[in-house]
Amino acid sequence: MNKVAIVGTGQTKFSKDERDVEKLLFESASNCIQSVNNYDSNDIDGVLVSTNNNSKYLGAILSETLGIRPKISHSIEHLCSSGTNAIISAYAYISSGLSDMVLVSGVESATNPGQVLEWDRSRGNLEHPIYWGSMLTKSHKRKFQTTEEELAIVSAKNHKHAMDNPFAYSNEPRTISEVMNSKQITDDLRILDCSRSCSGSSSILLASEEKAKIFSDQPIEITGIGQKTTSASFTKNILGEIESTRIAADLAYKMAKIEAKQIDVAEVHDAFSVCELMAISELGLTSNEKSGEFVRDLFNTENRMINPRGGLIGAGHPLGATGISQTIEITNQLQGKSDKRQISNAKIGLIHNMSAAGTSSSIMVLKN
Amino acid sequence: MTFFEDQLKEGVFQICYCKNCNDTIWPPKEICHKCHNRTDWKKSTNLGKIMEFSKRESTYFGLIEIDDGIRVLGDILSSSIPEIGQSVRMSVSFNSKPHYSFLVENN
Ligand SMILES: [Zn+2]
Repeated sequence: MNKVAIVGTGQTKFSKDERDVEKLLFESASNCIQSVNNYDSNDIDGVLVSTNNNSKYLGAILSETLGIRPKISHSIEHLCSSGTNAIISAYAYISSGLSDMVLVSGVESATNPGQVLEWDRSRGNLEHPIYWGSMLTKSHKRKFQTTEEELAIVSAKNHKHAMDNPFAYSNEPRTISEVMNSKQITDDLRILDCSRSCSGSSSILLASEEKAKIFSDQPIEITGIGQKTTSASFTKNILGEIESTRIAADLAYKMAKIEAKQIDVAEVHDAFSVCELMAISELGLTSNEKSGEFVRDLFNTENRMINPRGGLIGAGHPLGATGISQTIEITNQLQGKSDKRQISNAKIGLIHNMSAAGTSSSIMVLKN
Repeated sequence: MTFFEDQLKEGVFQICYCKNCNDTIWPPKEICHKCHNRTDWKKSTNLGKIMEFSKRESTYFGLIEIDDGIRVLGDILSSSIPEIGQSVRMSVSFNSKPHYSFLVENN
């Protein structure tokens, strides 16, 4: 199997405005192409687009717009983790030798059909994610004595990190008390505990190890991948757990030959505040009981180890682009290019992206 | 409209199961996920227990477990704060999407 590295990255600013997906895709892909050395459109032999948008044939449209005639081109949809799923597909094409260099572009418009899973009849008319988000939050409080303040710290921390992320949809600071006093959506969710759907696009270029040096002075290798889908319906979940994340993390650590404690920096899928607490526990960085304390410590010591770009809550959540933006952040961290967000001496980074109340999780380990 | 949805419209919650495997299929599907034979239907007892709950505006909602371990999200009708494990009785309807609601017994 060929080793696979990230050689280029590009993003658009996330925004709450409705935007044309074709234009957004071109913008991030163009930024991505400009980030590599010795670019030649003939070198790209794969173009994958991740999105929940209903637009047709986006892989071919993006290819034509960029003047690329790839061997492999198609779209990928897997709700909120479409982005990492597309990167993992590109990894498979390159490692198998079917492709040498693949462009992966994710995109979403603010009003997209990926926010509601109509198929899941077990949700009844309570199909919006706030209902399962409330169930996870309430059960976390009940089982692990998690406090309202600990949940608010997740959001305050991620909003603070997003202030230094030029691509985030909001750069407004939010204090713990602002989060705690923000509008109650349900008894267990405040508006500032929720990630918001938005418009945006992000792109990444992957190449075989052999070719990577041509295009980048600092290629970042993907050393571990773990994916697990446990079901499609929320109500199959065991409350208080994200089983798919636990299994995917184990697979990724084994492939990368690392342990959780070796991770220097991670982007985790904070769809709601409670999801960050659950994710860091299932990833083995702490326990459920201590997850609130763990995040409080990070906040108090201004340690940006978890969600340095602001996570989904701080940066916004353009579904098809989210996993790619998470991967770009970890890539930049390992290249030492994260400016104010930089974690010093970061060597191993992790991306955690999930779908539909954690019924599916994708995890990648990157190394510089 | 599927049979399941048609029946919800009539106020009946049909449980989808496989006779061969003696297994419940939820959410309902025409084929069994194990043996791939056609599934059958039986009426729910409409009795369940509260697994977790919260409140939106003045309405409680929650995760309820009914017959054979089937879990659904729905509104909880209760004059006082619900409790985990509390017994509830389900009523259902269908109006472009399913609607499940649960009345706390001895309310
Ligand atoms: Zn069967």
